[in-house]
Amino acid sequence: MPTLARIVGTRLRTAAVRCISPLLLLALWWLAAERGWVRELFLPSPASVVHTFFTLLEEGEILEPLWISLLRTAGGGLLALAAALPLGLWMARSTAVGRLLDTPVTVGLVIPKITFLPAFILWLGIGSISKIALVGVTCVFPLIVAVYHGARATPTVFLWSGAAMGVRGAAALYRVVLPCILPSVYAGVRVAVPVALITTYTAEMVAGGGGLGAALMYAQRMFETPKVFVYILLMLLSGMLLDGILGLLRRWFLPWMEQGQR
Amino acid sequence: MKAVAQHLVAPLLILIAWQALCTTAIVNTQFLPSPAQIASAFWELSHDPTTWRSLWVTTLRALAGLALGVLAGVPLGVGMATSRLVDHLAGPLVAMTYSLPKVAVFPLFVLWLGVGHATAILSVFLACLLPIIVHTFQGVREVPRVLLWSSRAMGDSALRRLLKVQLPGSAVQICAGVRVALGFAWVVAISTEMIAAKEGIGKSVFVYGESGAYAFMFAGIFAILFVAFAIDRAWLWAAHRWLAWSEAREER
Repeated sequence: MPTLARIVGTRLRTAAVRCISPLLLLALWWLAAERGWVRELFLPSPASVVHTFFTLLEEGEILEPLWISLLRTAGGGLLALAAALPLGLWMARSTAVGRLLDTPVTVGLVIPKITFLPAFILWLGIGSISKIALVGVTCVFPLIVAVYHGARATPTVFLWSGAAMGVRGAAALYRVVLPCILPSVYAGVRVAVPVALITTYTAEMVAGGGGLGAALMYAQRMFETPKVFVYILLMLLSGMLLDGILGLLRRWFLPWMEQGQR
Repeated sequence: MKAVAQHLVAPLLILIAWQALCTTAIVNTQFLPSPAQIASAFWELSHDPTTWRSLWVTTLRALAGLALGVLAGVPLGVGMATSRLVDHLAGPLVAMTYSLPKVAVFPLFVLWLGVGHATAILSVFLACLLPIIVHTFQGVREVPRVLLWSSRAMGDSALRRLLKVQLPGSAVQICAGVRVALGFAWVVAISTEMIAAKEGIGKSVFVYGESGAYAFMFAGIFAILFVAFAIDRAWLWAAHRWLAWSEAREER
């Protein structure tokens, strides 16, 4: 029988071992910058990156672009979800619609949607709207597939039971089908969120118009490498943050979802 | 025949509606060229060797980055799945960088290496690396214990076990990983060209857009989509044939 102390000890040791490589990388970075192995222009020291972060924070050049990027990501993502839910359900409900939309969805899932960016800029301008639309188009296909598969996997028995208890039509959709597809939709959202974030940043890097991506490109064009590092690290953190939030959401709303399922 | 026809219904409907909207001038063809205009631009572009060259450059960058990603990612994934030390060392880095948009490091690479093939391929490589590592890791982990025990009982060496049990056992997952990475490869190759490049079809499309040659822009967009879709289908077909013995192979 492993005692509690031993379990905690093993956990701690594993955690410590897993810190080695990030710390090594950090040490190597620090050493390379400190010893002047690489020029400051190419690789600023960690200290100067941290310093730049706080300067930028004071100047308001961190929170504002971060906020813009996150809003665009959320806007596009929610738009995609709002479109994917009815479309996916309809495809699952009606064989004709399912057959009709099968090809567009398969094609849409595979093609690189970022290619449409110049077209979206032409139609919707270089502001937020074209980016939100692109994020929406990028996320809508995996979400449709998730909703569709979730709805197809809803046991007919549940619908029958619901009908026997007087739950029909719209009520059945809301009380039987939606709870059934939630885990599948969640899995789709988990795929779509990083994609939305990546698309937002990429669109900003290409087209400008504010946000972290535009700030990053601006810093690079000015050869302000510490700023480049700050913005890259922020993008890294924003991705980790959103993933963490999704994990929390699952714990709150889908506690019955299996652990192994993602 | 019927199955093929079924696939064509929706695209044909879209095409007809689109052409109708343009000819009845409900939408301004300045903003949305009609399919006929795009087709004629496409025809013109297909006679221009520079188009082929750009398309080739982009495809080369995407596939070269992907190939490097497979060459590095599969061994790393296998290593992480079979050795605790490798897992402890590489695992945290993979977990940290998984959610980083890989295009973000492109400006840094431009600073380091300038604009060109090396920078683009390096970015594609990084983007492809993670899905391949993660899928390989999962695949090797999912190989049934019993098979490993049998192999050990029959006195196989570790290398033989890797080649005869672990790699075939994870082939389906690895192929799925390559397919995910293929999608990333296109996105990164094209977006890096839109951000900073001297050549490539992503660059051409962006230049057509900026100079107002919208029919050509759409023709370029469709050219990319065709190639990307064709390569995805080709890979799916090849993987399906190659894994014909497997029950878990991906649906076509």
